[in-house]
Amino acid sequence: MKHPNPLALLRQQFRIEWRLYLRDRGAMFWSFLFPLLMLFGMGMIFRSGGSQSLTLVRVAPAQESARDAAFVRALNEAHLKVLTLDAAAAEARWRKGDTSAQLESVGEGYRLRLNSYLIAQGNLAAQAASQAFMVAQARLAGSPEPERIPMVVESPGHARSNTYAAFLVPGLIGLNLLTMGLFAVGMVTVSYREKGKFRRLAVTPLPKWVFLMGQILQRATVVVLQTAVLLLAAWLGFGIVNQGSYLVFAALVVAGTATFIAMGFALSSLASTVETYGAIANLAFFPMMIFSGVYFRLDNAPKWMQSALMVLPLSPYLRALRAVFNDGATLAGHGLGLAILGVWALAAFAVAVKRFRWV
Amino acid sequence: MPSQIHVRQLRKQFPKVLAVAGVDLEVAAGEVFGLLGPNGAGKTTTLEMIEGLTPPDGGEIEVCGLRWGRDDAEIRARIGVQLQATSLYNKITPREALDLFGSYYPKRRSTDELLELVQLQEKKDAYHITLSGGQAQRLALALALVNDPEVVFLDEPTAGLDPQGRRSLWDVVRGMKGAGRTVMLTTHYMDEAEVLCDRLAILDHGKVLQTGTPRELIASLGIPSVVELTFDGAPPDPAGLRARLDVPIEARGGVWEIPTADPKAMLPRLLTALESERLDYDQVHVRRATLEDVFLHLTGRSLRD
Repeated sequence: MKHPNPLALLRQQFRIEWRLYLRDRGAMFWSFLFPLLMLFGMGMIFRSGGSQSLTLVRVAPAQESARDAAFVRALNEAHLKVLTLDAAAAEARWRKGDTSAQLESVGEGYRLRLNSYLIAQGNLAAQAASQAFMVAQARLAGSPEPERIPMVVESPGHARSNTYAAFLVPGLIGLNLLTMGLFAVGMVTVSYREKGKFRRLAVTPLPKWVFLMGQILQRATVVVLQTAVLLLAAWLGFGIVNQGSYLVFAALVVAGTATFIAMGFALSSLASTVETYGAIANLAFFPMMIFSGVYFRLDNAPKWMQSALMVLPLSPYLRALRAVFNDGATLAGHGLGLAILGVWALAAFAVAVKRFRWV
Repeated sequence: MPSQIHVRQLRKQFPKVLAVAGVDLEVAAGEVFGLLGPNGAGKTTTLEMIEGLTPPDGGEIEVCGLRWGRDDAEIRARIGVQLQATSLYNKITPREALDLFGSYYPKRRSTDELLELVQLQEKKDAYHITLSGGQAQRLALALALVNDPEVVFLDEPTAGLDPQGRRSLWDVVRGMKGAGRTVMLTTHYMDEAEVLCDRLAILDHGKVLQTGTPRELIASLGIPSVVELTFDGAPPDPAGLRARLDVPIEARGGVWEIPTADPKAMLPRLLTALESERLDYDQVHVRRATLEDVFLHLTGRSLRD
């Protein structure tokens, strides 16, 4: 008897997986739309227009002295937008939480009040204000003006990727990979096993690897498409483009896809019901989503915590991805991080191969 | 006749129970063979070991003269299986499912022919999740026939079907026999076993209690008929009458059952005795013995217990 060609069967499994995926509109809609919503939503909220838009609220003194006038002039020269309000209006604005830095007169001198919730903007405004204060003082004293140090806000690598949206793009790509591995692969595997879909296939001559490979290839192409859509949206919406080598970037996406698919299969061997799996997957998912640098970097977290988080696969992965995408850098210096990722990939692959169950 | 399924001393130990405890079976080509037994008798486990789904802990299995572990792909190409519950993708249609499963095999039957066979032409483009229980069951049956198999395994094929659905499924199974296929099925419906099966094995606690044609099994009881008495209320205690007439009267579920080889002689004695005891019965039936009685006789329990 002549059995069908496995490669022809693989092509067919791939096609049917795609066809069934396209029928599940709800899941498809969310897996493509969610990253875009995050990108546009967060990108808009945290749109920073650079240092020009830094606003310093100034509480109007009872009487404007010559010293005040010189200070305000120097502040304006420092590209700070000075908003002078009377004490009541300034206090109201402060209470609403809109003010990041506020300049008040105290006796003969001044005081800066910084909003702890907006400490990044507040710090910038405070530094600019301190420089302006020195300049104003020098002018009043008739001594030579101190030189200003010019300030620019940009990403470590390149001036074009200086927005939060640009920071977010690699994070969302990584998050897509994680979601795909844990849920589209791991959860689906557990549910197929629990419902007996694998059993029905097991009594046919379809080689098992063909079925699994068809599934893996379908998920991988979904992720590649999601990444492409995200990159396109980032380019059209925010003018964000990859600053580094596209080849290295693509290689990283492929490596991440393989790692997280293997993780999904490995985790699926730990649970026999979808409910148990959901609990296990969430235990892995949420720490990585929140602390592995998808939305923000944990540079201010304690050292031990940062080290602990670097052991999770997503953190070193996102660092490498950002170095390439945002900073246009090479992967030099990411050896340890990529090694951690590699260990995860190998361990997950080994567990998946050894522990994978059909029934 | 050559044996299509050959099973010797098959054993399966589950963590807490010996599910199959040394089963021997021999099924000839073209036979419809039934495994009859209550839930938990080991029918499904036995079937799944023969289908190659569950590895046995001991014993030997040959299907079409081939062995698991050596000729797996070959066996799978030649058998068709309907599992107790067939789970498919939610949004696959019957036509796609038949095309897809058909493509796995070296030999296949046309999808249209199979759809017609199980009367699913009108539902061929409906999503699997929208099919009724009977329609899904018929699709599962069509999937088991997709490779034009020599041997078909059906695990509780009529479970959950209405009477009409059961009858149309029986027709399909008879059609398989007509086409020369060997069929092995499990059931806990004795009428189904009696109507469909050429031969039966009665299973309980993982053991084959008896094998034979339905007729042979019933005849082996030596009591062709059963007299049944129904009462208006609860049946009275038969002990007194049993001793007086020296017949084995059993009270079961509101009915007295009296197996007898000669109802013609026994009935007048019984009725006279009832009259003199002033026991007010409702109705008298005489029926021929069934597989249920065989099972009762062999295990002391009813099939549905």
